[in-house]
Amino acid sequence: MQLDPVTLALVQNRLDHISVQMGQSMTRTAHSPIFNQSHDFSCFITDHQGRLISQADGIPIHTGGGDLVVQALLDAFTQNIDADDVFLSSDPYVAGGNHLPDWVISRPVFVAGRLMAFVCNRAHQSDIGGGVAGTYNPSATEIFHEGIRLPPLKLIERGRRRKDLWALLLLNSRCPELLDGDLQAMLGSTLTGARAITKQVDGLGSDVYHEYVDGILDHAERRMRMALSSLPDGVYRAEEKSDNDCFEQRDVYYRVTVTKRGDSLTVDFTGTDPQIKGFKNSSFSNTRSAVYVAVTSFLESDIPRNAGTYRAIEVIAPLGCTLNPRPPAPVTMCTVLPSHEIIHACWMALAQADPQRACAGWGKICHWNMAGPNPDGSTYVMYHWGALPAAGAVRGRDGFDQIGPLNSLGNLVVPNCETYEQLYPVHFITHELRCDSAGAGEFRGGTGVEYCARVEAAADYAFRGEGQRTPSGYGILGGTMGRAGRVDVRLENGEKFEAPQFGNGALDALTLRIDSPAGGGWGNPFERDPAKVLRDVRDELVSRTTARDVYGVVLSEDGREVCEAETLALRRV
Amino acid sequence: MSEESQPFEAPEATPLVSPWRIGVDVGGTFTDLALLDASGAVHIFKVASTPAQPELGVVGVIEHAARELRLACSALLGDCSLFVHGSTIATNALLEGKGARVGLLTTRGFRDSLEIRRGIRDNAWDHRTPYAPVLVPRYLRCPVGGRIDRDGEEIEPLESPDVEAAIRRFQQEGVESIAICLFNSFLNDAHERHAEQLLREKLPTISLNRSSAVAPTMGEYERSSTAVVSAYVAPRVAIYLSELSARLATLGLKQPMLIVQNSGGLQSVQSVIEHPASLLLSGPAAVTGALKRVAAQSGESNLISMEVGGTSCDVMLLHDGTVSIADAFDIAGYHVGLSAAQIHTIGAGGGTLAGCDEAGMLWVGPQGAGAVPGPACYGRGGVEPTITDAELLLGRLAPGPFADGSFSLDLEKSECAIRERVAVPLRISVEVAAAGMLKLVEQKLTQAIESVTTAEGHDPRRFILVAAGGAGPLLACAVARQLGARRVYVPRTAGALCALGMSLSDVRHEFARVHLARLNAEALPQIKTLLCALAEQGREQLAQDGFHPSSVRTEASLSLRYPGQIGDLRVAVKPDCGINLESLFDDFARAHEQLYGYSHSTSAVDVCAVRVVAQGDLSLPPSEKVESIDADAQPKTHRDVYFDSHHGRVPTAIYAGAALRPGQIISGPVIVEELTTTILVYPGDVLEVDDYGNFLVQIEPGGDH
Repeated sequence: MQLDPVTLALVQNRLDHISVQMGQSMTRTAHSPIFNQSHDFSCFITDHQGRLISQADGIPIHTGGGDLVVQALLDAFTQNIDADDVFLSSDPYVAGGNHLPDWVISRPVFVAGRLMAFVCNRAHQSDIGGGVAGTYNPSATEIFHEGIRLPPLKLIERGRRRKDLWALLLLNSRCPELLDGDLQAMLGSTLTGARAITKQVDGLGSDVYHEYVDGILDHAERRMRMALSSLPDGVYRAEEKSDNDCFEQRDVYYRVTVTKRGDSLTVDFTGTDPQIKGFKNSSFSNTRSAVYVAVTSFLESDIPRNAGTYRAIEVIAPLGCTLNPRPPAPVTMCTVLPSHEIIHACWMALAQADPQRACAGWGKICHWNMAGPNPDGSTYVMYHWGALPAAGAVRGRDGFDQIGPLNSLGNLVVPNCETYEQLYPVHFITHELRCDSAGAGEFRGGTGVEYCARVEAAADYAFRGEGQRTPSGYGILGGTMGRAGRVDVRLENGEKFEAPQFGNGALDALTLRIDSPAGGGWGNPFERDPAKVLRDVRDELVSRTTARDVYGVVLSEDGREVCEAETLALRRV
Repeated sequence: MSEESQPFEAPEATPLVSPWRIGVDVGGTFTDLALLDASGAVHIFKVASTPAQPELGVVGVIEHAARELRLACSALLGDCSLFVHGSTIATNALLEGKGARVGLLTTRGFRDSLEIRRGIRDNAWDHRTPYAPVLVPRYLRCPVGGRIDRDGEEIEPLESPDVEAAIRRFQQEGVESIAICLFNSFLNDAHERHAEQLLREKLPTISLNRSSAVAPTMGEYERSSTAVVSAYVAPRVAIYLSELSARLATLGLKQPMLIVQNSGGLQSVQSVIEHPASLLLSGPAAVTGALKRVAAQSGESNLISMEVGGTSCDVMLLHDGTVSIADAFDIAGYHVGLSAAQIHTIGAGGGTLAGCDEAGMLWVGPQGAGAVPGPACYGRGGVEPTITDAELLLGRLAPGPFADGSFSLDLEKSECAIRERVAVPLRISVEVAAAGMLKLVEQKLTQAIESVTTAEGHDPRRFILVAAGGAGPLLACAVARQLGARRVYVPRTAGALCALGMSLSDVRHEFARVHLARLNAEALPQIKTLLCALAEQGREQLAQDGFHPSSVRTEASLSLRYPGQIGDLRVAVKPDCGINLESLFDDFARAHEQLYGYSHSTSAVDVCAVRVVAQGDLSLPPSEKVESIDADAQPKTHRDVYFDSHHGRVPTAIYAGAALRPGQIISGPVIVEELTTTILVYPGDVLEVDDYGNFLVQIEPGGDH
């Protein structure tokens, strides 16, 4: 059938609008701050076979894993899917999930008795049981320590909610009221989507609709293949590492071989270390998503992101390695770590293929979470997001000095200190950029911050100091590495210590100081515009010594001008 | 002026009744003047804008209007009882990076709040685009010692020597304007005031923008950003408004000029100079005044306006007669924590570009052709097709003079651009390509409106679509049909809605205080005291503006939220009549339900701010009814217009808008040509002229064109 290009564009835009509208509905109706403020959920749409056809809403690391969820439920319920059924699933080993806290509601859309699509919402729940409150258990050594596991389940059967199942779910959460409200919001948002899809199918007829869905996937595939064709053929290898397995200091290697031939890409993690003891193993679903984030962010930000896009990319991760572990390895941290390492490794390999598009490394997180009692007896949970790290540079842009984690391409809100002083028992002393920390380059990395807060009462802590020991923001094309982070604690009694990287602990009132990891630089520092170096020195982000020794820029005595002749001489060497 | 444009443009037919009001709106392309006389008659005038020196356009449009009205300039301004101006001077300074060199005083330890921002980027996937440049370099952000704690108590005194050092640096560096934002100043502004006093002594003439005065809200980033934006635009705003006021006085204006602020309300020149950031949305916000008039004339209180200009479309929503006020807005990547009319802007207008990507997908916007080169048909070198080119190709616009003769439209150039960039690559005919471009832009507008209504919890089918701007009424009927709305309303003044809105607004001042408390009986006395003090402040301000107490209204509200929430909702209260706690809880729950779909009946509620809006009523002249006519309307010509693939090209009657009178009803297909806009009515839809001369289109239900 010959597709009408106008209708094709209309169908594509409408599908993206429907997934965005589902997200708006979720934001409006969810109860937990993690949804209505932090948007830690993604709405997506698949076709009747579980092929991802739209994910305009949501966060990057959720991208591209949704099809596995729908395919798993299709396998589980082949002949047993009815109109007005709704499914729920989460398990990374049997249900195509990424990690346990991300629950996926999948609602089939039938039009005139024919299955046309699934409208889905993947959302990170506030609590799902497990070893600690808030879903992240740094002490977990098995997935059983991480919360309740959900295979594909029928949550609603022919329009009727399964009350026994619903009660089971609530019983397994420390926040049943939140869970109850949030599940309803998820159901509501998929209902919005289902109605809109039905209307769209009605307008075209179901046969024609399927043709256009194929057309959308084919277009995305062509876009991706054209973008890949612009890279030279070759085999590009890279390796990234972590300095711990959550329990002891030891190097864990993530090795990738990226093979580009014609208009296809193979991303092969053979050679990556075996699965580790702690919860930084990555489910295969998450590994694939992280690869997609790396490749699309490296290429062009406006390439559509659907199943067609990913046909051109094959992801291989041998079973039993830390990027495709065997059960019951714990995996809850994977959406952040090792997503960061996966994206880094892919970026380093791709940089060899196209240096101009190379991305320098981002600092890895090292902020703590803490929890304690509110005056009214309820429990607060505070994330020390004021200590988020910095981004690396790309050509044309210095690294963001402080930004959210790489898995979401920085898409997380940095809180105001004033607001947190009103909400939690903290008093802030410093939240400022670091000096001489950024990786140098023609474009420099982000600086990271110096973050200092006094916690005025005893609290329970979860330590997640991945970036606190080893520098993580690698430099590229002659750019240098950004400085590592550091986490220091001083108790009220004067005792001082450097924080452990992972684990849990209860501590009395204390002063916490975090230097957050800096980003890497892009290109030769001697190529940096001397005016920018002057500005950085005037801004006290780069010292005069660094300006001279690293950037080859000599400033006048009063520090207000570049000495051009001396700079030229120094840079010629 | 042709005979058929009476009575709207020909002054000799209806002599002006003095005194009149004048609104002047400086837009990107045109400077518009709307004159509303004491009988309620409206006259619109336009001249080309002069972006480098906007005051020339203002004076130019006044002189043009005087000429057209056969009055001396001094007479036109002399009998003007209210002169209102909307200016883009602040907006352009920000967009073009041409503001002042600003110095910022911060609290030690928090020097970088402004530059750290909050990590928010428009498009998460686009990590290569840098932030908008920080408006104050770090070396001009001077930290000072001194700390206020979370309860508003001073725990370290302000260190004056640090302020002195900052002053020396500012002087040395040639700083032209200063912002002050100290930590927790929203709870206690003593340190900021003290610092301000020290600065004032040493720098008596410089603009000082203290965050606790500009925007006393919680959040060091938002408060610094607002104070800095204010400082950045302050000198240009002050010079422009003072000089323009003086110039207008010389030309014969006896009343002080008033200025439209972000909320759509009016303020004196002096107030705006003190709060220059209140000028940032001056132009588009004026639509609020016009919407209220549309509501009065149409008898409908639920309206969605869609003003489609050259490159963008502003969507605004009037619900139960009220335009939502947002507590903050973003402009050009900068956060401004000031109240503003809720305006949703998307990149879709007459100049929006279309094309197809290398893999064969048709796209429309958001990029626009800009004023130069503009649409291909303008013949100024544009080779990429725009929405205007598609309208021309399909016969919805006529070749030749356009927009009151400002341009001449060249059909061949449109056809060539659409053929090369869209039709050939997609292997479709130019007509199908042009119709496809319009379908895509209509879909964009529909989806933008759906986003606004969904976000606020409304059903778009319950609203009337008000179309304005040069390109709006061409697209409105298709958009209304997609939304399921039954009626489209095109005000007679659709081409200059902002200018008209200006002359219909009230003077408005808003006063807010952050006040954090659990909402209960014990909290009420202090809330009442605060509200009464703010109301008193409002009355004083309006008395200074020259208002008699009888024409002053104050409206109080509390910003409320459930414990732990970050966002809040405004709920109206009447402190004079006593505050009823229970109805306050109910009102909040209802508002929460409407917006978020749920409420907590048992949860505590927190107060986070108290506000008073003080308005000085400028009693409106009556809306003038236009004489109806019994005769059928006569088209001025016919041409073939392409509607859709179903209808193809249809012979269509073309009417001159000025010749249409109340009582006349015309069935589509119809095109009505106004001076600066064109209304497209589809086959099956019906256009009528209401008592006030405005156009109302009944949309045929169900038909999906």
